[in-house]
Amino acid sequence: MGLPLFPPTSDPGPSFLAFARAHGLITETTDHSELSAHATTVVALRYNGGVVMVGDRQATGYYIASRDVRKIEAADHYTGIAISGSAARGLEFIRIAQLSFEHYEKMTDASLSLEGKANYLSPLIQNNNLRTPFTVVPLLAGFDLSRKIGRVFEYDGAGGCYERSDFAVIGSGSPFAESTLRLGFRADMSREDALQLAALAIYEAGDNDPSTGGPDFVRNLYPMMVCIDDNGFAELDEAYVEQTFRTISDRRTQSRGIAGGTLR
Amino acid sequence: MSNFMYVAPEQMMKDRAEFAQKGIARGRSLIAAMYDTGVVIVAENPSASLYKVSEIYDRIAFAGVGKYNEFDRLREAGIRWADSTGFTYSRDDVDARALANYYAQYLGDTFTEGPKPLEVELLVVQLGSSLRPTKIYRVAYEGTIADEPRFAVLGGDAETIRHRFQATEDTANNLSTTLRLAVAAIAGPEREIPTADLEVGILEDRGHRRTFKRLTDDEVNALRS
Repeated sequence: MGLPLFPPTSDPGPSFLAFARAHGLITETTDHSELSAHATTVVALRYNGGVVMVGDRQATGYYIASRDVRKIEAADHYTGIAISGSAARGLEFIRIAQLSFEHYEKMTDASLSLEGKANYLSPLIQNNNLRTPFTVVPLLAGFDLSRKIGRVFEYDGAGGCYERSDFAVIGSGSPFAESTLRLGFRADMSREDALQLAALAIYEAGDNDPSTGGPDFVRNLYPMMVCIDDNGFAELDEAYVEQTFRTISDRRTQSRGIAGGTLR
Repeated sequence: MSNFMYVAPEQMMKDRAEFAQKGIARGRSLIAAMYDTGVVIVAENPSASLYKVSEIYDRIAFAGVGKYNEFDRLREAGIRWADSTGFTYSRDDVDARALANYYAQYLGDTFTEGPKPLEVELLVVQLGSSLRPTKIYRVAYEGTIADEPRFAVLGGDAETIRHRFQATEDTANNLSTTLRLAVAAIAGPEREIPTADLEVGILEDRGHRRTFKRLTDDEVNALRS
């Protein structure tokens, strides 16, 4: 690629998407293929100091395509993005979001607001989902530096963006994760409570939904747990994640597989 | 009947060069210099929002002197080029030399073919890694590209400043001394530049992917004292 200079009247501005589209960097597909892997469960949950995100790591097609997919990534220092749906488009989606936010920051010397980032994704989802069979539904959560709170944004398949005051769930395991969150969620939860509840929601999804992976004690692979607060995006360390899922699993063994009771 | 005057190519190039040099000489200068763990770019710039020094990519910075609107457009093009190259291939494939060459070609073409030459001089600075060495590329208004060994000076009065900095340069090692020597070289013996009129950016490994950092006035004050 040569030096991308534009006259002021057709300059794409700080939007990476506007620029990339003009240069054909992003392929718009319309053909159907059976190669895409689907299904997921990711939850994002507000607590009194930010947001937590927990998500499974399985990519499912007609068989399990991968057991260690990272479906949650830092979109930038204070924002997390998670994907469900087509893995190929989803991972590209994460890359575009990360690059777009950084691109905007470098071009203008200012970070996008959290709401600005959430709105930016809408047309991208709309364009992808209404024109191709490779549906992607993301989830955006982050720490809003101007308001000093954690915020959660969910999307519908057509790109509609909705801010949630409590929590948001995406993926095929949503019904099970959502039920768990509905029963356990309280306003102003502590970080620890939020992490435990979110982990339980993913455990329930993995337990009931064939396309969501639960904790894998054989391979020592566990769902991803992330916390975003005023220090930014941070993944919880492996020992903590393993301990969390072992505790839930042990409790379930003790109750002989029966779920029930507060945090069970 | 047309009445074009014949102008010898030598004369035309000379006129254009003079025109560009005059434009550049009106602006204030900047120095980019390597220090033990990175590269610092120091610019005299009374504006706190119209920057001369910017981030292009993870390990690449940009600096420009001359007409702001002209070099800012080139800065934007550089960011677009770097981001799309990294997106298409890999972040490791974004090389400052390629960008400096594009700038050189563009400035060279505009100098000879454009309605007027661009009144800018550019720096493309790369922080070294296991893949590439630390580099300071200077691109002049007519497209000359220079690979500067340890430091580079751009802008009006560049030669004087270059000599002043060169005389003290061997004592520069860490960020603090390099910055102080650079500021002294830009200021000259007769004046002091207040921190508010300085713009300082560094490329340095701090454990993150992105190595560029714009220093705040407080940080610059701490380094100068």
